[in-house]
Amino acid sequence: MVALDPATLINVLLIAISGTLVCIAVHFIPVGGAPAAMAQATGIGTGTVELAAGSGLVGLITASAMYAIPSVQSDPNVMALVLAAGAMGSMIMIASTMLSGSLIYAYGVGVPFASAQVKKDPITGARQDLYMSKGTQGQGLPTVCFVSGIIGAALGGIGGALIYYVLVGIYSTSTLIGGSAAAVAGVFTMGVFYVNSVVPSYGVGGTIEGFHDPKFRRVLPKDAVTSFVVSALCGILAILIAGGF
Amino acid sequence: MSDIKEIPPNTLMAFGIVGGLLGIYLTYILPLAGDAVGGPVKDLLTTIAPAAGALGGMCAIVWGAEAVRRVAKYGLGTGVPSIGQIAMGMGIVAAMFGLAIVKELTLAGPIVALVTASVIGLIIGWFAQNVIKMKIPVMIRCMTEIAAAGSLIIIGFSAAVAGTFEFSKLIPLVFDNGFMLAVFWVGAMALLHPFNAVLGPDEKQKRLLYLAFSTGAITMAVTGIAGIMTLGNAGIFTLLVGVVLWLIFYKKFWDEVYKDAAAVVGTGLIPKTEA
Repeated sequence: MVALDPATLINVLLIAISGTLVCIAVHFIPVGGAPAAMAQATGIGTGTVELAAGSGLVGLITASAMYAIPSVQSDPNVMALVLAAGAMGSMIMIASTMLSGSLIYAYGVGVPFASAQVKKDPITGARQDLYMSKGTQGQGLPTVCFVSGIIGAALGGIGGALIYYVLVGIYSTSTLIGGSAAAVAGVFTMGVFYVNSVVPSYGVGGTIEGFHDPKFRRVLPKDAVTSFVVSALCGILAILIAGGF
Repeated sequence: MSDIKEIPPNTLMAFGIVGGLLGIYLTYILPLAGDAVGGPVKDLLTTIAPAAGALGGMCAIVWGAEAVRRVAKYGLGTGVPSIGQIAMGMGIVAAMFGLAIVKELTLAGPIVALVTASVIGLIIGWFAQNVIKMKIPVMIRCMTEIAAAGSLIIIGFSAAVAGTFEFSKLIPLVFDNGFMLAVFWVGAMALLHPFNAVLGPDEKQKRLLYLAFSTGAITMAVTGIAGIMTLGNAGIFTLLVGVVLWLIFYKKFWDEVYKDAAAVVGTGLIPKTEA
């Protein structure tokens, strides 16, 4: 049995926090689901889980690539470097998705970008309601959604990278896992990531525009509490894997 | 649709748990029995053993797909795929924990994983119902069932790839080479696809079950391909059984579609010139 020393508790807490970060990230990403795919709602035209998991997994790849560099592992700021790499990977992934989506919405579908939730874009101050087509929930990706998406991706990337960083550190000292720490930590991170991207998507209920959406304030606290509890449980399980009874 | 007799959830649950565990344990026991007998019987039993794990996974897929059907009928707001992904997320966490925690007591692994998955599913289901307030009456029960099915799917197909479910042997054969990702994703697809494909006002359980069997068989075939690289002949056997089962169950699904359809008509090719 793994002793309940402070280091173990901190690791569980870190995993719980990173799961919560992933959960919060989902709320920032402008997801429109099927309506957005028909340019009838603001956001990217796919599901919450797909976007959050997609960007998070890219973040996981960049974070693990950073961790695998020998000079990084001996660096005193290894944790910051790994987290930054994860955030960058996620941000690049979501930015390129939103950019290519925007190109299609603007030049393929031919819709002006407008948010249905706010009258003026909080960042540019541009009027939104004038450009909204009748019977739709906005369309395309206005500036505020784009910025919100980037923030979300950064949080998700940091969350994914943090779980990976904690687990790979624990598993590399385990006699059972040892040399395969990267693979086992990666798969476990993926599992925790999926759980934490689906749970908030149930709270969000399919579509959200970003931090300016009124839904954001309404659902974030209860989703975050759920994710924190579930991730803490996953963290305990993850640490027990390394030690066994 | 009350005039159609459906298979009750408890029967399917029993089918999934008993079938799943039986298949998984056969993967472990058959080679041991082969060792005891020796000779050509040993080779035969070691070759067919991994396929038993995949068949166990298939039972779990059928059970899980039906549980997805019961909960997704209420409309999740995020699409059916999300529940397949959370199932595998919970399943993989529980499966890794269950198999790793038991150490020398290998045989207890799948059961510990099943119980762990049920607990995780119960907690997430409770939170979804009472904190996120999804207002789906069957949420807690179905989330528990789906998580449990997810863990059996992961263990069953991992055992089909590695020929065992000992965690120390799974690491080099399933984790290091990345086959776990194939098991994860193909398993998730097999679980979420049946209801995602047949949902609608005229959805029927029988059609879904046949489709679940056929997606399970595809998963078996894919793990067979992975098994060729890790186990050789045993993988080929798994692949062949998977393909044969897929043909059988896809034909059955096809027949159900024809039976349930009002009419099946050919539309011909799209005309070359617009009228």
